[in-house]
Amino acid sequence: MIKKFAWGAFAAAVAFSFVTPQTASAQSAQDLINDGSDPTSILTYGMGYGQTRHSAMNAINLDNVSRLRPEWTYSLADSRGQETFPMIHDGKMYVTTHAATMALDLATGMQVWKTIVEYPAETPRVACCGIVNRGVALYEGKVFRTTLDAHVVALDAATGAEVWRTKSIDFKDGYSMTVAPLIADGVLITGISGGEYGIRGYIEGYDPNTGERLWRTYTIPAPGEPGSETWKDGGDAWKRGGGPAWLTGSYDAELNTVYWGTGNPSSWNAGLRPGDNLYASSILALDPKTGAMKWHYQTTPNDPFDYDTTNELVHAEIDGRKVIMQANRNGFFYILDRETGELVAAPKFIDKVNWADSIDLTTGRPVETEVATKARAGEEVNYWPSALGGKNWSPMAYNPNTNTVFANTNVIGMNYKAVEPQYRPGVFYFGAEFSWDWPEGDRGELRAFDPVTGELKWKDGVAIPRYSGVLSTDGGLVFTGNMTGDFEAFNAETGEKVWSYNTGSGIVGQPVTWERDGKQYVTIANGVGAVYTLFSGDERLASVPTGGNIWTFSVVE
Amino acid sequence: MIARTARILCAMLVLFGAPVFADDAAIFKKAESTYKMFCAHCHGPKMVNPGTSSFDLRKWPKDNKEGFATSVLKGKGDMPAWGDILLPEELDLLWHYVKTRAGKEPEPFDSSQAVPPPQKDTPIEQAKAQLKTPGTLTACLAKNGGVMSSRRATGGAGMDYEVAAALAAELDMPLDVRWFESEQEEESTPIREIYALLAYEVCDIVPGFALYETSLSAFYQTRAALPRWDTKPDHLGMEFQVDLEPISVTDPYARMEMGVVYRTADLDRSIEKIADMEGLKIGVEQGTLAGVLTLRQGTEAMALDAVTLNPGPDFLWEMEQGSFDAALVTVGAYDFHKKQNFISTLALDEYRHPLGFNISVAMLGRKKAMRDVFDPAIARMIEDGTLQDLADKSQYTYAKPRQPWVQAHLTMQTIISMR
Ligand code: HEC
Repeated sequence: MIKKFAWGAFAAAVAFSFVTPQTASAQSAQDLINDGSDPTSILTYGMGYGQTRHSAMNAINLDNVSRLRPEWTYSLADSRGQETFPMIHDGKMYVTTHAATMALDLATGMQVWKTIVEYPAETPRVACCGIVNRGVALYEGKVFRTTLDAHVVALDAATGAEVWRTKSIDFKDGYSMTVAPLIADGVLITGISGGEYGIRGYIEGYDPNTGERLWRTYTIPAPGEPGSETWKDGGDAWKRGGGPAWLTGSYDAELNTVYWGTGNPSSWNAGLRPGDNLYASSILALDPKTGAMKWHYQTTPNDPFDYDTTNELVHAEIDGRKVIMQANRNGFFYILDRETGELVAAPKFIDKVNWADSIDLTTGRPVETEVATKARAGEEVNYWPSALGGKNWSPMAYNPNTNTVFANTNVIGMNYKAVEPQYRPGVFYFGAEFSWDWPEGDRGELRAFDPVTGELKWKDGVAIPRYSGVLSTDGGLVFTGNMTGDFEAFNAETGEKVWSYNTGSGIVGQPVTWERDGKQYVTIANGVGAVYTLFSGDERLASVPTGGNIWTFSVVE
Repeated sequence: MIARTARILCAMLVLFGAPVFADDAAIFKKAESTYKMFCAHCHGPKMVNPGTSSFDLRKWPKDNKEGFATSVLKGKGDMPAWGDILLPEELDLLWHYVKTRAGKEPEPFDSSQAVPPPQKDTPIEQAKAQLKTPGTLTACLAKNGGVMSSRRATGGAGMDYEVAAALAAELDMPLDVRWFESEQEEESTPIREIYALLAYEVCDIVPGFALYETSLSAFYQTRAALPRWDTKPDHLGMEFQVDLEPISVTDPYARMEMGVVYRTADLDRSIEKIADMEGLKIGVEQGTLAGVLTLRQGTEAMALDAVTLNPGPDFLWEMEQGSFDAALVTVGAYDFHKKQNFISTLALDEYRHPLGFNISVAMLGRKKAMRDVFDPAIARMIEDGTLQDLADKSQYTYAKPRQPWVQAHLTMQTIISMR
């Protein structure tokens, strides 16, 4: 009894000492909802819960962008691909690599703290597409991240000290995590990677204070669960049915709904898993507190092509209707009603798509060509876009004022033939043989287009496709980076390249913009690597060295 | 057609365990798909890659199969090791792919044993590879475990400590101990705490693990709190919970038994069952198995006259003071009392209750390679008297483990009938 009493008193004292200083610097739930309206901080992945990556700042603009120069640089001391999304709060910038989490002084770029992430040396075996990490979430004085070996970690934002660490699952069975977590309605939400390793995908909610797992929603139903009727093989294909959830979802606080995309069903051999294979290649609307599914929409039923539907779900209002928009790997641009999941529009956003002619707006299903039928039947096919997608993970920007989407797209096809997969834990479970079909000219295009019609406004072709995120600003500018190291700015109206600066290593990071003491800055991570570098074997990159840095730019007078 | 042949061959390969290839094309096809399955996503399609973030395999010398095997099986720099996944045939196929420069420079298939097939690591090497801190065996031991384990200024003492040290010596390694102390929270039981310590990898092994049905199976799907230990980080509060994992145990090295302790002057009979204590004033440790057995298997008269006290070190001290004359207690509790009180009037009868628990060493299920080293060592140490010597050194009355290794679930029926 005495022991208990003493403990209780101690706990109360500890709680007290934490609460007082925090109220000054907390990123409360309300702060997160307001993110995007205060230019001095970046508190949510994608610059606002709606992930538009559009900023109302215009101090850097068409008139002065030519005078954009580096303000400071910070070495990430790492040679992998750098995809981190920089977060900003209270004078500090928070960035990640697969191997460390860092807080930097916003004014100088000097390191405030660095906390190493340790994971077993075999872990990279289960990372198909790059040893990467996409950044942190901030909430109430803590910094949250995921690790390659599928742990979720909370650090003290002031010191970097580990507060808790929870294992999600055993990486040896092909599971990994690269996602930046999302805080929604006070719950820390993450998704799993591993779609090429025969996993069963899921999205999870954690208590940000304790690391306790609150819920796990599998993206592939077990027999008897809703959706299981779309797995008609009658066997246990669902156990290795894929449906990873490796990119951060968005959140509508008013509807209190989280939107999260899921990846391909596995193996790729669709003939072996007859049925639509819910909820792979789908967009899910979830209750953040329970993980319960409010609605779902599947983009590619019985997908044979690795058409992940994980890409970012950007919020917009179109004709007074709240929607989410996604540039899907499969070449179509989906616009769905945020409340009901109803399909509003689905134009093509790239030039060459041959697996389907269109998306039927009444049924919501693709009108497929014989390419899809043949692929399922095990015949060799040449399909467009390739498994890399019309657009891969690199997030697009949406300017709501001009109703324009800016996205880095691929011009790549694929030769493909389904074969019998062999399951071995932690080893690729493709069930297909494939090779790339490269075009004669440019393999990538930065495209500006109308989301509803897909109508192209302009494009900027590039020999080696861009895999960096895009940022749009009211300064009339669009920022992105290319694989050979240029950080670039385009005229948002005309597509003319108005500025670029070579950062010394290729860019696959995510640009952000922010303000400090009344001055506007732009930040991006460089560091070549990840999926294109690994899978393409593009030897033109031989002269682009690895090595990541955080680059921050501002206009010089 | 070629693909079909390859598939049939592949099936044969599985059946006979040795590569039998009909023609070069089929071999190459198989080599290519093996390369794609394991290596292409880092080394590039057809081994073409920019060479900036991994090695350019086209440059690997054609006469160095052995170096290739070593790097691939054991890993090198940023490249993970593949030895635990690849089949021996697959290594030969990968070598074929590299040596033929992805088929551009044909060469005969080389399945010669020029490279010894990847040797399985010896049990000791496998066990070593699983240790939490390379080069050290880390054990969790109870800080106040009486004659079983207790902390000293340097190292420790007690039977479980000695056993841990002996097992570390089997691996030819020093022992490091995490001394833990039970939180004695309502929901936590000692067994759950041991599961939590292992799952959080506070240590590699926990000696002193009693084998009974539920201790081996009941917990791993849940979560549990960690007890305190000497180097526990401050930020891991009491509310912190760990996902439990299945555990594995060694063969037992000792047996925990219950015996009758009496005041020297008082025992005037030979005891063969609990009821034989009738006529003596009996002490009962409340809520313990020994206490329940005393009440259930003793006579009614004994029970009526018994003194019931809280369990713990004070219990035998009360007996020393004359509160009662005899009691059934765990032998270890008696040993500890004797150790604490050199001058004691208490004695332990030779009688042992048939119900007892074998004691083994627990570890995570996925680290059970250690068992392959520890099981034979334990058998040997029982056989050659090492464990008896360690017990003597610890002032612990040793009993060898007895079959069945794992005590079945205890029902009231067993408690009444097992005399
Ligand atoms: C996760 C990425 C990855 C995968 C998968 C991978 N490698 Fe590597 N490999 C590397 C890297 C990185 C290096 C350079 C290592 C270093 O020197 O630090 C390398 C180096 C090598 C080397 C040269 C080692 C030396 O001794 O210099 C060989 C040989 C090799 N890999 C073979 C393979 C084979 C065969 C496979 C398939 C079983 C494979 N690799 C799969 C990343 C990978």
